[in-house]
Amino acid sequence: MEKKIEKYDVVIIGGGAAGLTAGIYCGRARLKTLLIEKSLVGGLATYTNEIENYPGFPEGTTGLGLMDLFHKQAKKFGVDFKLTDVKSVNLDGEIKQVETFRAIYEAKAVIVASGGKPRLTGAKGEDGFLYDKGISFCATCDAAANTGKTVLVVGSGDAAIEEGMFLTKFADKVIVSVLHDEGKMDCNEIAKAQALSNPKMEFVWNTVVDEFVGEERLQTVVLKNIKNNSLIPINVDSCFLFIGYLPNTEIFKGMLEMNRGGYLITNEKMETNVDGVFAVGDVRDKFLKQVATAVGDGAIAGYSVEKYLAESEIFQHQIMQSEMPGIVYLWNAVDPKCRELLPLIEKYENDYQGKIKVTKVDIYKSAGLANRLGINQVPCIVTIKDGKVDRVIIENICEEELAASIG
Amino acid sequence: MAKEVILDCMGEACPVPLIKTENALKKLEIGDVLVVQIDHSCAMKNVPEWARKEGHNVEIEEVDDGEWEVIIEKTK
Ligand SMILES: Cc1cc2nc3c(=O)[nH]c(=O)nc-3n(C[C@H](O)[C@H](O)[C@H](O)COP(=O)(O)OP(=O)(O)OC[C@H]3O[C@@H](n4cnc5c(N)ncnc54)[C@H](O)[C@@H]3O)c2cc1C
Repeated sequence: MEKKIEKYDVVIIGGGAAGLTAGIYCGRARLKTLLIEKSLVGGLATYTNEIENYPGFPEGTTGLGLMDLFHKQAKKFGVDFKLTDVKSVNLDGEIKQVETFRAIYEAKAVIVASGGKPRLTGAKGEDGFLYDKGISFCATCDAAANTGKTVLVVGSGDAAIEEGMFLTKFADKVIVSVLHDEGKMDCNEIAKAQALSNPKMEFVWNTVVDEFVGEERLQTVVLKNIKNNSLIPINVDSCFLFIGYLPNTEIFKGMLEMNRGGYLITNEKMETNVDGVFAVGDVRDKFLKQVATAVGDGAIAGYSVEKYLAESEIFQHQIMQSEMPGIVYLWNAVDPKCRELLPLIEKYENDYQGKIKVTKVDIYKSAGLANRLGINQVPCIVTIKDGKVDRVIIENICEEELAASIG
Repeated sequence: MAKEVILDCMGEACPVPLIKTENALKKLEIGDVLVVQIDHSCAMKNVPEWARKEGHNVEIEEVDDGEWEVIIEKTK
């Protein structure tokens, strides 16, 4: 089957809070924008019933409800959506390729917003009970099906304890397996106090999962006490894992710089090590992974992409044009030496109007064009001949040198 | 000839759509296409995820606000 090829200004991979916000910014900047999401638009935030710390919702909101509003807003600004998974990418060069089962999307810029996926315990038998067989990662999704039942929650962070408390509204009993000593949990103090006084919650301290057991469906989770190695079988109807998340970055291995955990490294403009490729949200190596910070990342990346594409336009059509010889004056507006040379450049520009294309690039505003030219020192003159860099003049920039450069 | 089968899971909450999908897919031949109609967002997380993990080709159409068709091409 021949794959169809479609062209976009920017392709966003992942439709969680970060990708949707980037979409809103790109769409509003009138960029032709495609967002590709492999399952439910809204991402991990839709896994929780209650978001209380996202500003603007003093009464709290559901994850699904909040993400629905993000989705609507992105649609309003003309973002195209495609619900399929990205299988591979080619990020080299000016035009990037993003490949799905049926199509290849070509884009001038790519924003990676692929977020995280729940971490598994790695215990025996786990594989056999994933999906609808008893192991779940989403309390909101599976709570109702556990009405009147007994469930086990593994983990003691904010997600584990808050989702565990939510489950007590449905289940009769919520047993929590905690790695730490009695009374010690990874969650915030408020959640901890509430959980400890919740009559439907029980805690099994110093434990990890040793094995998942059952026939068709999960029946028993065997916990292991890490202090004395004793095994504690617990009969359950469902088990919810909240032991952290792993980044969705397999398809970027060897292309994008990552830390040891596989999270993508970016600078504060959300740029990765590859020109024209940005990363946002939980998939980044960052201090706090929340909806509010994902939104901040998305806004920055949307703005960065807009600047990057504008720069590409100038670079290709003004600087590297081949109609006539060109010179580029790279300068820094805050540097006196650079400012001193400005009248000379402007005189030159006037004298040779229509014969030589003069471009002034203020690196104080953005270093992007200087980087594309491979220049890291100012003041500097780059001459362009036949659409290619001809000479780089760093020392002794003067009228004679300029005159000689047109040759 | 490959056939296309529609599976109506409208109004059904987790885990019913996934169980029905697994059963329906068992009855199909390689190359057949199963179109699962769902309107519970929870099923959007496990049905496509499960089908991809099994190795099938999956695409989703949002037919309306909060209504989807998960299109699964059986590959094995
Ligand atoms: C149970 C739980 C409770 C939480 N509670 C809160 C809270 O109260 N407050 C708060 O601020 N935050 C909370 N969070 C954290 C919050 O959900 C995340 O910080 C946020 O979702 C990050 O958004 P994101 O866009 O970076 O990534 P994600 O939400 O993970 O979205 C990434 C998206 O990319 C898609 N994707 C991945 N790979 C591909 C591919 N190859 N092709 C196509 N699509 C792909 C995924 O399907 C996913 O939809 C909670 C998280 C969980 C799990």
